[in-house]
Amino acid sequence: MSGNKKTAGFEPKIVGFLCNWCSYAGADKAGTAQTPYPPNVHVVKVMCSGRVDPQFVMEAYENGADGVIILACHPGDCHYKEGNYRAVQRNRILKQLLSQFGIEEERCRLDYVSAGEGEKFVRVITEMVESVKRLGPLSVNKKRAAV
Amino acid sequence: MKIGVYFCNCGTNIADKIDPEKVKAAITALPDVAYFKTADFICSEDGKTFLEEDLKETRPDRVVIAACSPRDHENTFMRVLAKAGMNPYLMQMVNIREQVAWVTADNERAAQKAITAIRGAIARVRLHQPLEKKELEACPDALIIGAGPAGLKAALTLAEAGRKVVLVEKTPVIGGMPVRFEELFPNMECGPCMLESILGEVLHGDYAENIELLTLAEVVDVAGFYGNFIVKIRQNPRYVDTHQCIGCGECIAGCPASAKNEFNCGLNERKAIDFPFMGALPNAPSIDTATCVRWKGEECKVCKESCPMGEDVVNFEDREQILERNVGAVLLATGSSLYDCTAIPGLGYGKLPDVYTSLEFERILSSSGPTNGEVATANGTAPRSIAIIHCVGSLDPDHRHYCSGVCCQYAFKFNHLIESKLPQTKVYHFYKELVIPGKEGFSLYHHATENHNAELYRYEKIGSLKISAGTKGSKTIKNSSFGKETVTADMVILCPAMVPAAGSEQLGAMLEVSRDRFGFFEELHGRLDASQSKIKGVYLAGTCQAPMDIQKAMLQGMATAGYVLSGLAEGKKLEIEPITAAIDEERCAGCRICLSVCPYKAIGFDAEKKKSEVNAVLCHGCGTCVSGCPAGAITGNHFTNEEILAEIGGMLA
Ligand code: FES
Repeated sequence: MSGNKKTAGFEPKIVGFLCNWCSYAGADKAGTAQTPYPPNVHVVKVMCSGRVDPQFVMEAYENGADGVIILACHPGDCHYKEGNYRAVQRNRILKQLLSQFGIEEERCRLDYVSAGEGEKFVRVITEMVESVKRLGPLSVNKKRAAV
Repeated sequence: MKIGVYFCNCGTNIADKIDPEKVKAAITALPDVAYFKTADFICSEDGKTFLEEDLKETRPDRVVIAACSPRDHENTFMRVLAKAGMNPYLMQMVNIREQVAWVTADNERAAQKAITAIRGAIARVRLHQPLEKKELEACPDALIIGAGPAGLKAALTLAEAGRKVVLVEKTPVIGGMPVRFEELFPNMECGPCMLESILGEVLHGDYAENIELLTLAEVVDVAGFYGNFIVKIRQNPRYVDTHQCIGCGECIAGCPASAKNEFNCGLNERKAIDFPFMGALPNAPSIDTATCVRWKGEECKVCKESCPMGEDVVNFEDREQILERNVGAVLLATGSSLYDCTAIPGLGYGKLPDVYTSLEFERILSSSGPTNGEVATANGTAPRSIAIIHCVGSLDPDHRHYCSGVCCQYAFKFNHLIESKLPQTKVYHFYKELVIPGKEGFSLYHHATENHNAELYRYEKIGSLKISAGTKGSKTIKNSSFGKETVTADMVILCPAMVPAAGSEQLGAMLEVSRDRFGFFEELHGRLDASQSKIKGVYLAGTCQAPMDIQKAMLQGMATAGYVLSGLAEGKKLEIEPITAAIDEERCAGCRICLSVCPYKAIGFDAEKKKSEVNAVLCHGCGTCVSGCPAGAITGNHFTNEEILAEIGGMLA
């Protein structure tokens, strides 16, 4: 119940890093299907999920994002062979780093969306928005807002 | 800085959901935004003309186009920019159709989301650098490794188009596997006859002068990259001058030394100087120094003296040579071999007499083979019954997971040939699965199943078959699965899975071409690009890439030639995409992490300077090294850290 108070009227800002080949195309597929989903995720296109530097993620939080989602090609499907494996490796390290900063794990999600998975894209985005809503605004941001 | 923003209404697709006026109000308030213009369909002919004229007139420093997905029209708009005299990389597209208008329920929130995205684009585009495609001279010629069906077809296709081809074959003969097969499925054509036309074309056809054929040769080193490979080839000595030799075989008769003939799977002997088999091309024998008595210190020159063409045709002084060639592309067509049947001890291969692999049986059937085509048991009698075991080591996680797709067809071909040679002989087929794909394979299958001398039995796993010695030289085949049959046969033929040829591992390592979990050379994409390796400019044809039949191998040979013909052409320079990584020498600490993360081997290490360097021809621009570099020394063009950080900042501002 306490969660409800927190989430009432709260619309999180989420940055989504989408690889050009699968996930970005998956997002476009959801578009072509005209399936509505919450507009909270702002997309930054990268050529490959392997390009996502932990620094980008930190920068997003610092600039007011309440969550970050990284979407990659499915394992084995990366257009550049293994960029998504690197992304997974980096994400593991990133999560440890985030916990040190007191940022909840659910605020940073890595998932796989293929070019054909428009529906999965919608589902993943919707879940992400809901889970960040449940967490409420990121506390570093709250502090920032208070200053 | 002057930033021009264009908003495409996309008819009503965007404008009905996202109010352009609202967006305009928010965006024109941003610094440096010189104007915000809307248009109906910027991608239409009218729209493109409008954009081009407008750019020429307003001359912005940077452009943002909010429209459909960049996957639709980024290239279209880049071309318009170029036509208007602007560097096309000074533009950023914002996807407000697929990722906003079409997927947001609420109009107000859609406008807000569009504004957020355009703000990000404006922040990013400021930092865009004008990028240029670079050009590089490229050699239009090709190296082909392997002179089987795939390699030969590729060589001829390229030669006919006027390309120079270096065709390297490690054995003394060309034609690959099928020249050893008396007849081929599905139409029972004679293998050597079918290939004759192609072999003849390669050796003396109208375009033969474009093909440098090197038999008994091996590639020993490959340096460089797409468009500019330098290859080193070891030409082993043949000791017979192929140009002077008339292929009469006089030299062979008197030769005192012999050894097992590997071309007949060791089923008979050949002389130290000999042809691999009758009719082998090029039509000149070679000396095997491991067998020849001269190399054991004797003063023998029988072959040299018996040559009717003179004393210098056989040349004992012939020496190994290292040849260097410059080519633009490398085609791998190294073929395959068979799964080792001794790995399945229950089949008795290598222990029981008259148990043969399919390749051995092909040679037995062949008129140029060890028995001149006569099928007989070790006792010297014609077999009264023959068992053919399909799927040996195939579709079996303990051996090979895959089905080779050709074995059932040649097994039924064997059935047909046995029937015509030995009409009384019974044939028992034991199979795990029957696989006869394509539009032609069925006839041999029907032929076998309608033949009252043939019987088909199914087994569950290869382990459920036990082959043991029976009475009077016969073999007992016991199936402990399904029908639990026991049959007696005088001869057994095993049809093993196709496996990559010996030496693929070393060749793959030399070219840095990856291999799949079965050891076949790995394709760039199983369906889109099955004939390209993951290394640019290295192509794959035939069974070195996957098990396949002759038809597919020939087609793949053509396909690889197609890549060379379209990618490399005389006088055409290679265009190098500017979206690549670049290393700042000053900041590079020489840790080489980038080399380990690059999937394309596009990064080299200068040992002297102790710095990494990117080869822009090989770089695909994924940016994995950029985010992997601990020193931040690598820039991903068009996706620089600064650009991405600015985009994030702009969006969240
Ligand atoms: S290209 Fe999609 S994860 Fe690498």
